[in-house]
Amino acid sequence: MENNKEVPTPEEAAAALSEAAAARSALVGAIGAPSGFFVLLGAAIAVHLAAVAAGFARGETVLIACGVVIFLVVAVVLLVRFRRANGVALGAFTSRVVLGTGALASVSYAAGLALAIWAGYAGVTWLIVVASVLGGAGYAVGGLRWLRSYRRRPEVLGQDRPAWEVLLVVAVTGLGLVLLLLQH
Amino acid sequence: MTDLDQHIVAPARLILMTTLTPVTEADFATVRGVLDVSDSVLSKHVGALEDAGYVKRRKGTLSGRRTTWLSLTPQGRRALSVHVAALRELISGVE
Repeated sequence: MENNKEVPTPEEAAAALSEAAAARSALVGAIGAPSGFFVLLGAAIAVHLAAVAAGFARGETVLIACGVVIFLVVAVVLLVRFRRANGVALGAFTSRVVLGTGALASVSYAAGLALAIWAGYAGVTWLIVVASVLGGAGYAVGGLRWLRSYRRRPEVLGQDRPAWEVLLVVAVTGLGLVLLLLQH
Repeated sequence: MTDLDQHIVAPARLILMTTLTPVTEADFATVRGVLDVSDSVLSKHVGALEDAGYVKRRKGTLSGRRTTWLSLTPQGRRALSVHVAALRELISGVE
């Protein structure tokens, strides 16, 4: 850091901070999800949950793999659309909203998956569908709520989660599914 | 009193860096639109901040067109935080 050579007056400093905050608010205020984003995300999660649950119930790992691939493909497409629409990349959005590390998304996913898998083993097909749809809906709502919170507190919520934290969540989820599969 | 950072003291640079704080990276055209400056003016400020190690530039694409992505470095985030604290000290010293 260089020594003070140029020192603004307090009024200039206040104006500069105010202008900077306004610019940041303008950028954040303009960030939005493309049309149909959360519907597609919720639908992808629902299909994913149903495929994984059906795969467990039938012992078909291909179905489980299809469920994972469907989600990943949709996730990539949604993130590309988000980036194109907003001209920004937002790591916190990727992890919290799309990968579901936000609180409501995580709980909805876990509960939906648990219920759907149980329903699969119990042979209650309609419950697989209900659990998957509810899981997907909760996931999407969680993402929508995060985005609204981000607009109110971008300086806090805009901070990227450490990569290891996101990988840990994905790894634990994957490990849980593998363990479930091995048990049956 | 905390020293002001001469790399950031220009209002346009403070705005530029503050604008980048809530995102991982932003497209050059998007930042230019927010700052409402010309390409050359923005490039000049980005270049100065890049030389200071506060901003990173990366060539990429967006919607099929080549573009430049801008992001704050960890050093830049720390420097901005210190500089903002110094400005607030300056303001509070009068109140």
